[in-house]
Amino acid sequence: MPGSFLLVLLALATAALGALGGLGGAVVLVPLLVLSGMPAREAAPLGLLSVASGSLSAGPRQLADLTVHHRLGVTTETMASAGAVTGALLSGAFGETLLKRLLATVALAAAVASLRGRDETHAVAVAEGAGDLGEQRGTLSGTFRAEGTVRRYQARNLPGGLAVMTLAGLVAGIAGASGGFIKTPAASEIMRVPVKVAASTTTFTVGVTSAAALLVFAAHGRINLAHAGPVITGSLLGGQIGARLQSRLGSSVIRRALAGILVGVSLILFVQA
Amino acid sequence: MTARRVRYERMIWALRLTTRITFAAALAGTLLPGHGGRTASAVAVGLVIAAPLVRVAWLAYRWGRWGDRRFASVAGALLLVVGTGTAIALLTR
Repeated sequence: MPGSFLLVLLALATAALGALGGLGGAVVLVPLLVLSGMPAREAAPLGLLSVASGSLSAGPRQLADLTVHHRLGVTTETMASAGAVTGALLSGAFGETLLKRLLATVALAAAVASLRGRDETHAVAVAEGAGDLGEQRGTLSGTFRAEGTVRRYQARNLPGGLAVMTLAGLVAGIAGASGGFIKTPAASEIMRVPVKVAASTTTFTVGVTSAAALLVFAAHGRINLAHAGPVITGSLLGGQIGARLQSRLGSSVIRRALAGILVGVSLILFVQA
Repeated sequence: MTARRVRYERMIWALRLTTRITFAAALAGTLLPGHGGRTASAVAVGLVIAAPLVRVAWLAYRWGRWGDRRFASVAGALLLVVGTGTAIALLTR
């Protein structure tokens, strides 16, 4: 099992990747912890602590960039949190091999979906000063700045998005991964939200999903405080690094990085299973 | 743009402060041995869990004040889901 210093380093690296792609670092951290000899039952809450820390750390910068759509996030999160709570309550009932294969398959599918689409189909360029940047009050639409132009978007197919967010929450509650690797492609590909907005909004929502599942784990006494400190320390630092990189990189770069990370995670999970 | 950005200033400030306090507590939890370390870690864990939920509560309050009742209700429903899950977990432990 890794010592405190190694835990800090592992959490830092995975949280940076998670914040960069809006997928949450736990989907990488949890398998690595299990590979190092930690029981999955103990690794799952640590994964969610990493996600929640990365989300907290990245929040201020993403708010300043005006790329977080809170109304969209809160709306989809009602179903994701219900899934997370259900998953956390049911965790332990599923076989580990089956769970890993399921995760690997979903991650691979998300990678394919992430590579397939193009940002331009989700947002249209509008004139400067055509309204406030960010989300529009009372709606699931908004504007954001990309490559020097202001672009407008409108979230679509809410029922489809909510269904997939429920699945993402369930995965988070059962496995300790954030489900962000499902949420960002779902918001981008199913709800037609630009990937930059989808990634920032997911970074916000994975914090809520994690908090919902962590409250269940805390009530069941499953959080190891000796490991929690190092994981939170590394994740807070990693979240800062990831968020800084995200605001400097274009949407296509994030999309390609996201797909690469998802393929890598999928391979790790298949090897583990 | 400016008005929207000003509206988020408090939230940005609060999140930055929470991040710093959480980091200090987590670092103390990493470095301190025994009861002190566990207590510091517990504080960090509590802050990490509370921060997103307080953010949602804040949004619900703001949206309610602005007359955006539909989304204020959605945010309230989200907190209700989390609260119900916690209550069930406490009853089934």
